[in-house]
Amino acid sequence: MSSTNKTIQEKIAKLNESVEWFDSDEFTLEAAIDKFKIAETLANEIEQDLSSLKNEIQIVKQKFDSEK
Amino acid sequence: MEKSHNQPIFSVSDFIAVFNQTLEYAYPSVEIEGEVASFKVNQGKFVFFDIKDKTGSVSCFMTVWQMRVPIEDGMKIIITAIPKITQWGKFSLTIKSLRPSGEGSLKKSFELLKAKLASEGLFALERKRQLPHIPQHVAVISSTQAAGYADFIKILGDRWGGVKVDVAHVQVQGEVAPDQIIRAINYFNQQETLPEVLVIIRGGGSADDLSAFNDEPLVRAIAGSRIPTLVGVGHEIDESLADLVADVRAATPSNAAQILVPDRNEIIRSAQDRVRSLLPRIIQLIDRQKQIINDSLITMIIGIERALDDQSRRLVSLQSVLAQLDPKAVLNRGYALIRGLVKTGEIINIETNKLIIKAEVKDVINK
Repeated sequence: MSSTNKTIQEKIAKLNESVEWFDSDEFTLEAAIDKFKIAETLANEIEQDLSSLKNEIQIVKQKFDSEK
Repeated sequence: MEKSHNQPIFSVSDFIAVFNQTLEYAYPSVEIEGEVASFKVNQGKFVFFDIKDKTGSVSCFMTVWQMRVPIEDGMKIIITAIPKITQWGKFSLTIKSLRPSGEGSLKKSFELLKAKLASEGLFALERKRQLPHIPQHVAVISSTQAAGYADFIKILGDRWGGVKVDVAHVQVQGEVAPDQIIRAINYFNQQETLPEVLVIIRGGGSADDLSAFNDEPLVRAIAGSRIPTLVGVGHEIDESLADLVADVRAATPSNAAQILVPDRNEIIRSAQDRVRSLLPRIIQLIDRQKQIINDSLITMIIGIERALDDQSRRLVSLQSVLAQLDPKAVLNRGYALIRGLVKTGEIINIETNKLIIKAEVKDVINK
């Protein structure tokens, strides 16, 4: 559960890095297309991952109407 | 106990005990609404006041620990109490619980407690902790039958997924609500693995319905939570002390879900927009590079043309010089070219522009 979310957050962080690269000094036109493809793949994966995630809701068994 | 004319003769203490037993049998617990008068606290522990209306007045007693909301003279309250006579024969109500009654008293009690807790720094901004950006494990305290809880769960699911949500079902209004919520707070705070956020929610209601969230022990329990708290009680206009003491306050249960997790649709849209915005930038950069290359080519062509022109001009000039040095041109001007040994009697060739003449040297004279 949490690892899935972590992966999404990692992917978001990686996407941010990829996008920021285009504004960085490291930018080269030769590498730009590859970087673009990586960013595009990440964005699609983020969409798929986020769309499929469900919350896991559990009502605790403990009763709170009186002191144990 | 002795008997006189079939009437029991009590000792004073026995009479008080029997009288109290009778009272307890007849009125194990009474609820009385009235106005507070002569309120006082003795030794910081014992609370005494009278509850009265236009024509009657009864003494009341309780400990300060039982007083979960502050009261003062003039406030209208409802008490739950056990009627008794004391060992000195004075009739008194031993209070089990009390609550303000009516909007004015609720407000007054709220303001008194708010001022008290504020003076202790419970609402100070420095105490507020930040919630994690995207929590993985959340604890929710609410009534699972309440509309506010349903709104929260729906919006949480719409906005985000993958969150482990542990829910403690409690009553969120009435006299028992504060203690149940406190027990749930303690339950989550005692877990081996603490949830990252503790969410306490309740939908809208009357001031009396929401008064559970102005309970002093509850407010202190929220303040003392090891888990950062997010409280969304009532509607936007409602303000409870639980709201004020929370690390983060939500206007409503729905707003709590909005604060708790980001909107996945916004993140998806933002990710796609950011990627889409890269392509025009790449194309623009390629166009700019093409322009630079074109400009360089044009500069090169201009340079080559200029060099060619220079060479052409030099060639013409050299051609002109060469033309002037051409022996044929000299012959054309009427000169002749003589080949052979210039010595008397020798045969020489004389070339003009049109003829080649063989001639004999008759004589050679030095000039």
